[in-house]
Amino acid sequence: MSWMDLLRMSGSNLKRRKLRTFLTVLGVVIGTTSIVVMISLGLGMQQSLYREVEQSGGLTSIRVTGESAGDSMYSESGSESEDTAKYIDDELIKTLGTLEHVEASYPVYEMSVILLKGGYEGYGFLKAMPYEGLMEEKIPLAEGGKLPAESSSLELVYGNAVITDFQEKGGGESYWETGVLPNIDLAKDSLFLILDQDGYYNSQSGDMDMGSDYSAENDGESQPVKQVKKHVVKASGIVEGAPDDYNAHSSYIYCNLDTLVPILKKEFSGRVIPGQPTTSSGKAYKDFYYSSAQVKVDDIDQVNEVADSIRQMGYSVETNAEYLQSMQKEFAMIEAVLGGIGAVSLFVAAIGIANTMMMSIYERTKEIGVIKVLGCSLKNIKQMFLMEAAFIGLIGGVIGNIFSFFVSAVINAITGHGAAMGFDGDISYIPIWLVLVSLGIAMLVGIMAGYFPAKRAMQLSPLAAIRTE
Amino acid sequence: MEKVIQVRNLYKLYRVGEEIVRALDGVDFDIFRGEFCAIVGTSGSGKSTLLNMLAGLEKPTKGNVVIAGEHIEKMNEEQLVKFRRENVGFIFQSFHLLGTMNAVENVALPLSFRKVPRNVRIRKAERMLDLVNLRKHKKHFPNQMSGGQQQRVGVARALVVNPKIIFADEPTGNLDSHTSEEVMQLMKRVVKEQNKTLVMVTHDAHLATYADRVFHISDGKILKIENNQKERTRQNEEQE
Ligand SMILES: Nc1ncnc2c1ncn2[C@@H]1O[C@H](COP(=O)(O)OP(=O)(O)OP(=O)(O)O)[C@@H](O)[C@H]1O
Ligand SMILES: [Mg+2]
Repeated sequence: MSWMDLLRMSGSNLKRRKLRTFLTVLGVVIGTTSIVVMISLGLGMQQSLYREVEQSGGLTSIRVTGESAGDSMYSESGSESEDTAKYIDDELIKTLGTLEHVEASYPVYEMSVILLKGGYEGYGFLKAMPYEGLMEEKIPLAEGGKLPAESSSLELVYGNAVITDFQEKGGGESYWETGVLPNIDLAKDSLFLILDQDGYYNSQSGDMDMGSDYSAENDGESQPVKQVKKHVVKASGIVEGAPDDYNAHSSYIYCNLDTLVPILKKEFSGRVIPGQPTTSSGKAYKDFYYSSAQVKVDDIDQVNEVADSIRQMGYSVETNAEYLQSMQKEFAMIEAVLGGIGAVSLFVAAIGIANTMMMSIYERTKEIGVIKVLGCSLKNIKQMFLMEAAFIGLIGGVIGNIFSFFVSAVINAITGHGAAMGFDGDISYIPIWLVLVSLGIAMLVGIMAGYFPAKRAMQLSPLAAIRTE
Repeated sequence: MEKVIQVRNLYKLYRVGEEIVRALDGVDFDIFRGEFCAIVGTSGSGKSTLLNMLAGLEKPTKGNVVIAGEHIEKMNEEQLVKFRRENVGFIFQSFHLLGTMNAVENVALPLSFRKVPRNVRIRKAERMLDLVNLRKHKKHFPNQMSGGQQQRVGVARALVVNPKIIFADEPTGNLDSHTSEEVMQLMKRVVKEQNKTLVMVTHDAHLATYADRVFHISDGKILKIENNQKERTRQNEEQE
């Protein structure tokens, strides 16, 4: 029999038992949908990871850290015990820049700051980089924004979620509790920026009750609580996105490092700049130390080599590539587990197919016998039934995939496109390969489920078949 | 004359519990090309068993069946199917048309097993239906036809592959006597026109008179072989 004839026969047999075919297909639809949706969740996470990596310099950037300087958003501890202090200073930045395959290297300084506006108070995290460094960050700015160039006054780029860090002074409720955004237009309003957090706390507590404890500690500085300096700052840009949207830049405040350093030095002249290391006697060092250095490698294949040579210099090195690798392993696990859960329902569907095929063979015993007597080859009979089972699998796979896109869209809508789960981008992502693979699997499951029934049909004796009345 | 079927020393034993049933108990005969043979006997005499053996649907316990020069008792399932596809047409007692197909498609079905293209298949099937006087029922499904009409479709289906031999197990068993006569006449006409060998099982002695030769079988043995043809020629000679 030609393939066309086999197809026609299988098709007409499926059409004959519409309800049963429908129910069997439904099983496959549910199985396929659960696999596809489950895996799409894992892939969504992976996608957001990739995007995060892309946003933080791609796979060719290396983050170099030494002894901690500046505040860290993710406070790392345990590195203090090292004897030879390895700090990131201008000299190191220069040295890194001369390494082979290094395209550029620039310093990063991170610190916690306080922003004031009217009755509102906001705690933010400042990330300062030279202009080229900010460029490399590939920060997507909302319209009209630009990156702050080096100048005498500070200009900030606010992350799109920074606005949610503001709350009314004296412990007002935050945006996350009330759902009402503070009445501040970050793009236009001038704000006060406080770099000296300790000083600010002191002045606050001094306003209220005591203020004596601190001054005693403060190297015998005799004057009482001094008013902290408030820097007037304006925005040069805002990161694109709604306050609820998450991305790698959403909660940072960026500024130009070359502008920040002189301001810090001026404000804290004679004192220790917050986050800077001190000598054993508590005095500040002469040099300014950075939180980390960002190194851009010219070739993706050289990243590991460059990272190793920096490591040998005694610094801690993080590359996105390494991060990605470790995460990928984790995601593979997650996807396998999620896919496995989905596979259970597809397995149940496979049993359904086998059952349907078995029944269909019992029902058609006579018919199978007759076509055998009429000279239909055993191979053709097997193919006919396998094709029927494959058909069920394929139809179920197609409908299941269509359904998956629908479910995926609903999940993404409910989770606010990932924002509710702390994801940058959709939580459920169905790439084209997943569609093709799941179609293939659905069809394969159909064929496998149909294999034994088909074999059985093939082995039916034509005589027994035509005798059945 | 060419021997199309040669049966030698054929036995078929069934074991039913402790008992052994001798369905065929040493059968020998030859059937020649273009002959119309009838196998008659009482119920349980072994007629169907013999026919199934000839068509390769069942394996003999002992003995040889040579059809068109091939020993079919030695063939495996796959070879038997191929053999049937190429040499044999089959007419069933209860028609066994496929319910999902109309008359033309049913007749065309055996051709599809031979990989005949669809348009050729349909054309041949339609010609066959014309031959069995079912011109008006080509698009009818089996449940829209009478028993006689269905059996005529069955005859057309057996003939469409142009087989060397046609086997029929009580082809009129489910039809009334009038329709039986019609179908018998049709079969006889078509078989003679196309010079086919037809082996038919029946328990109706009257219908057996349509055959050239009649094999009388009882308890698995051939009692006698009646030659109607000689008789008829003799009668014809007498009339002249
Ligand atoms: N599969 C079987 N197992 C056991 N005994 C069988 C089997 N098939 C046939 N027989 C026996 O073989 C004998 C011949 O059966 P067969 O079907 O050939 O009879 P028949 O002449 O066709 O009868 P009928 O006119 O009723 O169709 C019977 O006694 C029957 O009981
Ligand atoms: Mg019988």
